This record gives sequence, C-alpha cells and structure tokens, in this order.
Amino acid sequence: MPRILKQPLLWFCLIASVLFAADSWLSVSRIEIYVSAALRERLGLLWETQTGMIASKNELDSLVQNWIEEEVLFQEALRLGLDQEDSIVRRRMVQKLNFIAESEPVAVPETRVLEDFYSRNLQDYTLPRRYSMRQLYFQTSPDAQSALAAIDRGESAAGLGESSMLSGSYAYRSSFDLNATFGSGFAGQLQNLSANSWHGPLKSSFGYHLVLITGIHEQEVTPLRAISAQVLKDYRQSGQDSARQRYLANLLRKYEVVVEQQ
Amino acid sequence: MKKTFAILSMLLVVTSCSGDSNTPASNNAGGSQTDSTSAAPNAAAQVVANAESSPTPGFNADRNAYFGDLHVHTMYSFDAFIFGTTSSPSDAYTFAKGGTIAHPAGFEMKLDVPLDFYGVSDHAFYLGVLREMANPDSEISKHEIADGMSTLGDSDDRGSKFLRILSFIRSERATEINDPNIVKSAWDDIIESANRHNDPGNFTTFVAYEYTTTADDGGNLHRNVIFRDDNVPDLPFSRLDSRNPEDLWKWMDRNRAEGIESLAIPHNSNGSNGNMFMLTDWSGNPLDSAYANQRMRNEPLIEITQVKGTSDTHPALSPNDEWADFEIMPFMVASHLASQPEGSYVREAYRNGITLQEQQGFNPFKFGVIGSSDTHNATYAGDEDDYWSKVGLRDSDGVKRGSVPLDEPSDNGELYADTYYNTWSASGLAGVWAEENTRAAIYDAFRRKETFGTSGPRIKARFFSGYDLPEIDDADLASKAYSGGVTMGSDLLADADRAPSFIAWVARDPNSAPLQRVQIIKGWVEDGESQETVYDVACSDGGIVDPVSHRCPDNGAQVNLADCRISSGLGAAELKARWQDPEYDATQNAFYYLRAMENPSCRWSTWDAIRAGVEPRSDLAATIQERVWSSPIWITPSQ
Repeated sequence: MPRILKQPLLWFCLIASVLFAADSWLSVSRIEIYVSAALRERLGLLWETQTGMIASKNELDSLVQNWIEEEVLFQEALRLGLDQEDSIVRRRMVQKLNFIAESEPVAVPETRVLEDFYSRNLQDYTLPRRYSMRQLYFQTSPDAQSALAAIDRGESAAGLGESSMLSGSYAYRSSFDLNATFGSGFAGQLQNLSANSWHGPLKSSFGYHLVLITGIHEQEVTPLRAISAQVLKDYRQSGQDSARQRYLANLLRKYEVVVEQQ
Repeated sequence: MKKTFAILSMLLVVTSCSGDSNTPASNNAGGSQTDSTSAAPNAAAQVVANAESSPTPGFNADRNAYFGDLHVHTMYSFDAFIFGTTSSPSDAYTFAKGGTIAHPAGFEMKLDVPLDFYGVSDHAFYLGVLREMANPDSEISKHEIADGMSTLGDSDDRGSKFLRILSFIRSERATEINDPNIVKSAWDDIIESANRHNDPGNFTTFVAYEYTTTADDGGNLHRNVIFRDDNVPDLPFSRLDSRNPEDLWKWMDRNRAEGIESLAIPHNSNGSNGNMFMLTDWSGNPLDSAYANQRMRNEPLIEITQVKGTSDTHPALSPNDEWADFEIMPFMVASHLASQPEGSYVREAYRNGITLQEQQGFNPFKFGVIGSSDTHNATYAGDEDDYWSKVGLRDSDGVKRGSVPLDEPSDNGELYADTYYNTWSASGLAGVWAEENTRAAIYDAFRRKETFGTSGPRIKARFFSGYDLPEIDDADLASKAYSGGVTMGSDLLADADRAPSFIAWVARDPNSAPLQRVQIIKGWVEDGESQETVYDVACSDGGIVDPVSHRCPDNGAQVNLADCRISSGLGAAELKARWQDPEYDATQNAFYYLRAMENPSCRWSTWDAIRAGVEPRSDLAATIQERVWSSPIWITPSQ
C-alpha cells in the first residue's frame, strides 16, 4: 500500500468530499422557488392596479411572501396530481393550448386552395336580387300622383318630393333591406316595375313614393376576384379550426389511443 | 503540500455545492406560469384582431342612426345560468346578426330585422362559476353552496337557488367561489367571441361586462363597462374587488392611462332606492368637482329604459307630466321592496345636476341616454308582440309572468302568479348617430353622448340647438343643422342678445306604430330651485300645439283590445319642428331633451292574454305609447 494511502488526513479529505457531494446532490433535488426582479415588479403593479396605491416596501415583502407560499402549495398540488382530477383546471389548460394552437399564423393560401374554399362555400358569396333606385317621398297619394303627372309632362324630378329622414337614393338593396327601411310589403311593389322611368305612388309605412329604378341586379354569385379579401378572411376564420386540427393531428401521432370494447 | 491538497479538495466540494444554487434553477415554474397566464388572452386577441379601415361603404358625414343592445347576459352570468340559459356569447352575436337561437323553454327566438351593434355584458362576479358548479366533476361543485346546482329543476327550484347565490354574494364568504381560473376562462371566451363577430361596416361588437354592485340597503348600483376596442384588461373589476363605484372609476382611470379605454353605463336607477343619484358620495360626503369630473369622465351615458322598467321620471317627481307613468317598476331589483323615487330617476338627476352647476360650479349628472334590454336569455327582447321577457325558465310564458291567470287560484286565492315580472317591459334599445358602423365611430358617438334610447321600436330622433339653424323644410336639414348648431349630448353657450332655436326631428319605425307627438322637456334653475316643464312641439294629423297648455290636440288613435289592431290612417311617419322656448332666459342654467311618442298599441301583457284567449288583466296597462328619448342639450348662461 502506498504511503500516501496511510495518511489519515487523506482519508479525512476523501470522506469529507463524499459527504459534501452527497449533501450537494441532496440539495439539487430540492425544488427551487425563484423570485425574480420582474416577478417582484409585477406583484407590485398588480397591487397598484387593485388598490390604486403604490405598494410600500413592507407590503411588497408581504406580497412576495404570499406568492412564495402560494407557489409552494401550487407545486405541492402539482406533485400530488391534484390538477389531474379537476375538470376546471383541465378545461383551462386545454383552452390555453387551443389559443396557442390557433395563434399559429395561417400561411397565405395558394390561389387553388382559396378557389376551392370559395366554391365549397358558394352560398355565402351569393347575393339575392337587389335594386338601385331613386325615390321621392310624399305624405299623401294625391300629391304623389300630381308630381308623377308633372314628371310625365317633362318637369325635372329633382325639385319634387318632401324632405324626410329617408335617402333620395338607395343602391344595391335586397327586398329584406328595403322592407326593413320602408316597412314590410314595400319591396313586393317593385317586382314588376320597369327600370329607368318613374312609377308610383308606392305605399310604405311613411306614406307614398315615386320610384325610379336605376338598376335591377339579379341574384348573382360574386366573382372571387371581387371578394377575395372577404374569402381570405373567411378562410382564415375557418382556419382557426383547421390550425387547431392540424396541431391536434400532430399531437395524436405521439399517442396510442386504446378504446376498451364494450 | 498535504495541507494544500486538503484545502483544495474542500474548496472543490464547497464550490460544487454553492455552484448549483447560483445556477438559475430549471424549476422556476412560478415565473413562467405567471407569464403564460398573461400571454394567453393576447394571443387570442391577435388571432382575431379586426383591422378597421375607414371609411366603410355606409359612411355618411351627416351620420346614420344605428341601433343596438349593450346589455346582454349569457350562460356565463350566474343568474342567467340558473334560469336555464345555455347560450354562449357567440350564440348571442349570432342572434343579433339575424340568426335563430333557442330559448331555454324550447321555442325559437329570431329578430325581424338584425341589430347594428351588440355587446355581451355578463356579471363579472362569479363569471362562468355557476356553469362549472353544475358540472359534478369540478372541484367547485363540491362547495356547499353548489349543492343541487347540477340538478336545476323547475322554475321555483331555480328561483330559490338564485336567491341562495344572491345572499351568498352579500355574505362575508362571497369570494370563496370566485375561482379566478373560471373567471379568466369565461372572460377570454367573451373577448374572443366579440372580436370574431365584429364586422366593420356591417355589425359591431363590444367587449363588455357588468359591474354588479349594491348599496348597503340593497339599492341597485349596477353598471355596464364597455371597452372601445380589443385592448382590454386581464380580468374585469367586480364587486368582489370593491362595492364602491368610485373604485371602479379609479380602475378605469388607471386602465385609461395605460391605453385601455372604457366607459360605464349605470342601469336600473329606478331600483336604486335613491342611491344612483344620491347627493353624497359613497362615504357620505357632499359631492365636489373632483367627484363630478371623475364620474363624468367614466360615465357619459345612462340606460334610461330596459326590461326592468323605465327610469325617465316618476309620477311623484313629475306630477305635471301626463306621460310620466310609463312602465314604472316600483321595486328594488330582485325584490318586492319599494324603491324610493327620489334619487332614482334621470330627469330629477338632470335637475339636481344643473342646480349644483349653478350653486357650486360642477355637474355630476351630465350624461346622455341609451336604452338596452338586460336580457338574460342572450337575446334582445323589445317587441311587445314577440316578447320572451328576460329570465329564462322563470318568466317564459304568460302564466309565469303574471299576464295570464293561473290554472287554478293559489292557496291564498290569487288569480295570478305572485310575481314582479308583470311590472317588466318589452323595452330597451340603444340608438346612436355615427358616421359608420364601426367600433371607433359608434364608441365616439357614446363619448359625444350623441345617443338616444327607445322603449323597443327603431324610432330615429335628431335634436339640435343653435343660433344659425336651417328652416325645417330645408332639403339638407341634417348637414346645415350640424354646421349651424350643436346636437344632442352637447353644451350651448347662452347669448345675452338672442335666443337659440331647437330642431326636433323624429322618424317612425316602419315596422311599428306611427308617431303621435314630439315633445321637448325642459329643466331649469330659477331662484335656486330647479323646475321642469313639457312642451309638445309637433303634432300628428294636422294638430296645432295649444299656445297656453303647450299640448297637441288628441289625435283620437285607438287600440282594439280584442285583437290589438290600431287605428289606421292616424299618426305620422315623421314629425319635425323648429322651436323656440317661450320662457327662455339667457341667465339660467337649463337642459332640454326630446321625447316622442307613438300612437298607443298593445302592451306585451295584452298580447299574452289575447293569445291565451283570456281578458287582459285589469290592473295592468292594456296599452302603451312606445317612445324615444334623446340625450339633452345643456345651456350654460353667459357670464
């Protein structure tokens, strides 16, 4: 045996080192609670928001102490698996992950993808029959009739009609829109009127109207190029779901799902 | 040498020990948890942020009238959930845009004409909590107060469980069940739903919630907090943070300093037992200019009408106003206790406000008006002939809401259900004048107080005052009135040499009854006392205002109570007048606001009775005159 191994001091050192190493290893296994300067600042701000007053040094210390206690309890609750039996915690965590999944930026889709989405949702981009028209308002039917006679004699319509909160012209209004504006039953009277000449009187909830239809726009599908921004928006909106689904599909590959047979 | 080795090896051990504690621990879960909690809603907001581009196609420099409801409860409100409502915020917006959703009692609800804007405003306290209590797997369902919440039964069972929660919120233990995780989860969904349904130019949504506080005597001090855009706080400020509304305003002020803009709209002052417009602050001190500034900075509007009654004025406060007795709900909210009229109605508050202005130089009650429903079914309920009231299974049919007799008289011989629901109204619509249908334009209108409220119909009211207003038949009336005067919600400086004119201009709802008359209601201070008077300014059917009584002749419009048909050929599509105050005095503080009435039509309770094949109840008004109120114009005396 070499001399050196007979030195008591060496044995002392080795044993001490082992003891220190053991102690340090045990220390590592303790969970550390880390109170950062940022956290301290955040707790102070929160206090300020809730109370309207700046936290004093003592208040801040006590906020930190409370936080530490809460954190210890939280860690212990996690260790005991309490989070796994609580449907609220479960739902909240799922919700947060969904938000993260949905916040993944949706790539600008290829034209082909957008066209496909558009044609699959064509009903959303189909407009009903609409009218563009000018209207003159009268409280009584005889006044409306004499104004129509004046127009037929060649008088300008511009100076005729009574002032009202109604507009003098409406563009691209569906029957539903017109009934909401003039009262139900109004739009039906436009059905068989020819465009570009004055007709009336038409009855509404407000009184009587002379109407000049300047355009009849039959039910039509809005071309994609005219509505691409809307289609993109809708695609992205629906993309929230598919981003989530893509995310979920990726996750599912990591899991083996076994369903017990009845 | 040996000694050196020993010291070295000790040092090694020591540094290896201490080294670990200096390394940032892998387990600093606390910090990252906190951060991710605050990051989640931002992520949500970013996904759905709607960039508003102006102008949208409907843009009109002379402003359009837009109609909406800013007081809507969904499944996240503790009471709505107990009453059977399972509709989500997203369902509520779908309904407002014209979609169909189901009432808890099974029937379908749909609007004839969609609304222009909508704000879901669930109760902040216990937000989403009752819904979780009803889930037997949840921790919160094990709390004693949650007993039976997963087996909500008939209307009476729901009523008693509602009262149980109501008394718990007023107890010392109130915070026990306000789980912040549940609240946060619901709040995130509310924000996300509003942002997703917001459609600039077509349909506007607002992120909102209700701050549901009460005075010590139980008087109602509820407010809805409306956010301008999707920049909103992490959590709403609730009565559990403070029951003092002044603390809500402080919180709003602090948010504003950080760029989070909001306003609060009080409601049901009628049920406040004099607390809403009390002349002292929360601590009992006299009001001062700091209070007035803070209140007006945060509360530019008030809800003048809703399902739980109208708060314009009370017959006891306005004995000379023949139309004051309109949809008066005489109780403190959710009780049969009488609510004191003084301090509870809008017109009296305006009068007290200008008196304070004259005597002390500040006005804490200088607010504009809107209507809204306060529906707890997620669905606006303003149609008399298509009424579903507002508390789910509690008032879903005529028998439950006291308009149709019980199948057999009660034990104490009552023919009708013992309920306050018969004092409720098919009421509450918000109107604004805004350039376009966007969050920015409509919110700016709230801030300008260029708003009006209706008892349900989409009546449009314009109101101007100034020294250079156009003639009433001018083809560009609106645009010239804007340039020659001020509009509702504004101040006008009195001019010692000339009196201002007013333009009052109202258009009917094309799908409701025609108009009967337009009025201007004036309040002023004379010899230190406030006064009020009602002027008719425009009459239908060719009527002329009597110069002494200031009244229109009766236009004779009737309602057939057998089938609710109204007189045909009577009433007006539009009424307008250019008016000057015959008693004008440039040295007085004064306010003027517009009120206009439709011809009489059936009240919802009469519709209920007719459909049930029974006589309308004799102690309820059989008919009402639907109406509109504008925000006032205030006249400040010249110095």
